[in-house]
Amino acid sequence: MAPGLRQFTERRGDVAGEPVLDTENGEELRHVQAGVSIAIGNRSPESPGTLYISTKKVVWLSDVDRTKGYAVDFLSISLHAVSRDPEAYSSPCIYTQIETGEDEEESEGSDSECSDALDLSKVTEMRLVPSDPSQLDSLFRIFCECAELNPEPIEDAEEEHNWIFSADQLTDETAEGDSEWNFSQNPTSSIGHSNGDHDLARTVLQLQINDHRFEDAEEMEDERDSDGGHQAKVRVYCSPAVAWWIACSGAQVSMAVVNVVANEIHKQPYGCSLNESTLPSGLWLNYDD
Amino acid sequence: MLFFSYFKDLVGKEVTVELKNDLAIRGTLHSVDQYLNIKLENTRVVDQDKYPHMLSVRNCFIRGSVVRYVQLPPEGVDVDLLHDATRREARGG
Repeated sequence: MAPGLRQFTERRGDVAGEPVLDTENGEELRHVQAGVSIAIGNRSPESPGTLYISTKKVVWLSDVDRTKGYAVDFLSISLHAVSRDPEAYSSPCIYTQIETGEDEEESEGSDSECSDALDLSKVTEMRLVPSDPSQLDSLFRIFCECAELNPEPIEDAEEEHNWIFSADQLTDETAEGDSEWNFSQNPTSSIGHSNGDHDLARTVLQLQINDHRFEDAEEMEDERDSDGGHQAKVRVYCSPAVAWWIACSGAQVSMAVVNVVANEIHKQPYGCSLNESTLPSGLWLNYDD
Repeated sequence: MLFFSYFKDLVGKEVTVELKNDLAIRGTLHSVDQYLNIKLENTRVVDQDKYPHMLSVRNCFIRGSVVRYVQLPPEGVDVDLLHDATRREARGG
């Protein structure tokens, strides 16, 4: 699905009905709000329409013009808020910021001039103005609930990196009954020493695939009880600064991020060897996708 | 989940959330979820000249994936506690 705002005119039935949803993939309508105007970018609000909030996206359909409607996925809504100050905007509204696929600065200047030729995919702001401002708080709450249903999709792990243990290798490890994490094949190797063929990153990164084969392993059930996760679990050893960086960049860690972390670790002038006594100088992060 | 729990402990404290689009919003941390989506209250935009339209916003929901940094109040960072938590986490919690 393309990021950002887009045209949306797929309605169900003949009467001005609800938008067509992707029900096969579990999309459900959560809220319908009649009498809502929409203001896109710096443009003036468009004629009242109806706002539909589904578990995947926000849709606005015009009440008068059946060919007019917009949709934006929750995945693209980076921020939403209630705006009430008349100095900032004439009517109380739900203010949203939209993440577009690209970074460009120039759009703001050109938008206002040629409003008809507005490229929806570059719109970064959208305001939804309900005719009844007392609905704002409940709309905000519904926005929050639905946004939480839409975490970042997980990117596929890139298999070719040899520092990721394959699921098979892990099965072997688990079969040995080792309840502790194996830090590396060679526990005495230190982070600062990467001479020879030894892959440095391999000592600090482990990818564990928790699939159903591990259902019986006790040490894993504990973890699963606490978070319900069934998929990839990544442990990364890194400096606190890097750890903050990952954490702040979002909880969904793709393998690309792990790659970056591995590169960062390469650059760290760590002379310490990787064993338990040195752990507190860095951070272990667990990520459940 | 360490950071999730950590941020939960910061609820009620004043933080500054810096987004990847350079917008920085200061406010009271209202809640945080497992994706590090963040809800702020009593917000104000740090660079008001650049983002005048955000002036009116008093509470907002920020998608975790667009957050670049979260600036923490110094008194909200208990280094010993964090050390302890990371040790426990390192042992498989």
